[in-house]
Amino acid sequence: MSASAKISQPIDWTGIVFAVVLTLVIVVPLLVVGTWAFTNVWRFPSVIPQEFGLKFWYQTLARADVWSSITMSLTLATTVTVLSAIICLPAAYAFARLDFPGRDILFFSFLAGHAFPKFGLLVAIAGIFLQLNLIGTFWGVVLIQLVGTLLFMIWIPVAAFQAVDRRMEEAARDVGASPLRVFWSITLPQAGPTIAAALLLSFVGTFYETEGAWLIGAPQVRTLPVLMISFINNQPVIQYGAVLSVLLWVPSFIALLFARRVVNSGSFAKGFGA
Amino acid sequence: MTSTEAGALAPAPTQRKRPIGLLLVAVPVLLVLWLIIWPIIAAMIQTIWLPTPDGGRALSVSSYEFFVNDPYSRANLAITLWTTGVCAVLLLLVCLPIALYLRFSNSKIAAYVQGLAIFPMFVPSIILSFAFIRVLGPNGTVDLLLNSVGLPKIKSPYLTPWGPVIGLVWDNIPLTVLILLSGLGNVSNQAIEAARDVGAGRIALLWHIILPRLSNSILVAISFAVLGIFSSFTLPYILGPAAPEMMGPFMQRTFRDLFDPTNAITQAVITFGFCILFGLFYVRSVAKNRTP
Repeated sequence: MSASAKISQPIDWTGIVFAVVLTLVIVVPLLVVGTWAFTNVWRFPSVIPQEFGLKFWYQTLARADVWSSITMSLTLATTVTVLSAIICLPAAYAFARLDFPGRDILFFSFLAGHAFPKFGLLVAIAGIFLQLNLIGTFWGVVLIQLVGTLLFMIWIPVAAFQAVDRRMEEAARDVGASPLRVFWSITLPQAGPTIAAALLLSFVGTFYETEGAWLIGAPQVRTLPVLMISFINNQPVIQYGAVLSVLLWVPSFIALLFARRVVNSGSFAKGFGA
Repeated sequence: MTSTEAGALAPAPTQRKRPIGLLLVAVPVLLVLWLIIWPIIAAMIQTIWLPTPDGGRALSVSSYEFFVNDPYSRANLAITLWTTGVCAVLLLLVCLPIALYLRFSNSKIAAYVQGLAIFPMFVPSIILSFAFIRVLGPNGTVDLLLNSVGLPKIKSPYLTPWGPVIGLVWDNIPLTVLILLSGLGNVSNQAIEAARDVGAGRIALLWHIILPRLSNSILVAISFAVLGIFSSFTLPYILGPAAPEMMGPFMQRTFRDLFDPTNAITQAVITFGFCILFGLFYVRSVAKNRTP
């Protein structure tokens, strides 16, 4: 920007007001939690903690329930993401490339779950699970979280497969490559990054899924968010919850690093019906 | 989440109908049938085809009668409607100015504001609940700061109906801003300049040029928010009062703590009823973006 353009631009007062208010409302509460996590002593009415330190990190990480729920959350999210990939990616390929009876209606059937308030739907599913003795089981939670990943694990990869340059595939076929070889060497590398983003979304979404895990799984299946609820409700030591919050945020932070650009693009909002 | 390239489901290139495609999509489609369509149908059947004392089943609306005649259930429904309404209005009041600012500004501050407005999307609601209690709860940060300058403590919204309202609005800001911003993309700069040329003021511009073009996006944003808020669970469960409670925690408690699936599913069907118009409108808008 040239010096003259800088001078001619008036001060963006509206922007400053928004920036200050949003910082106070969105950033400060999270900084407070972060501060609590690294605080050994913070008694009312001191505005800043009396003593900083890592004491409660050692104590939190020494708890068996924290480790068992970290393991549970990671196992669940991995299982759901792998299963979802196995059943959804071939389906996405079929929707993008093959013609078959009922293609359109089946494609839109994945929207069905989004026409209903989510927790009501979960209760209706729990009614079915009750008859099948799936309440309180690992696989009950896997199923309910798997259903939650279907829509975007099919719709995002469909868009990815459709965006692949068909002329390159045809050229490869012309020089004698087998269909499998074309898929492996041409289609997959081009669709790969978008599919990886869908897998990441699926993993992170499942990791934080609280409502299904709480309704179907608790108390036998205890994920990290479910443990966090019990810390908030029953744990008098504030720092345990604060340390767990920081730990819990890690997958979201990774998603943030990768997804910022996708979220800021217009097509993301269009996916929500905008 | 339904993030997708908003392309059309283009016609498949192969012209022959190949049933092999059906085989490839069978498993996810069957899952939708089994775990979404069937539970909804079963929920409706189950709540009107009730067991009778002699071991059979008979058509009856007694579980719905119980809900309507039970003052506690009615109070829970009322608090849910109140929370949803207040959140929807607040979301519009907060997000519309942000979206308008982002649409018409290209300063460096605008990028920062956009980053902040989208940030809550990357904060799980469980962490938000904890942060809320630490800041606005008893002896929280706000109390600390007020106390340090000699002012009395606030009346904390924690465990009052305003607790879930604040949490749910915070949680829904990113998508509401994104949907409104996407809608504002449809308002052309020419239309605005033309109106300015004939002397339209800011208010007239907003009322006559921008809002009419934005009405569909506003409806989509509201529908999405209503669907999420009406049966929200985590935030009202942690931040809300114990009684009356919102439908989410109410259904959960009826199902898991009172072991009363019939009444829990009745409550679920009632939430479906209240949200069905928003749901159909929302799904239609999403589908429209994917068809030519």
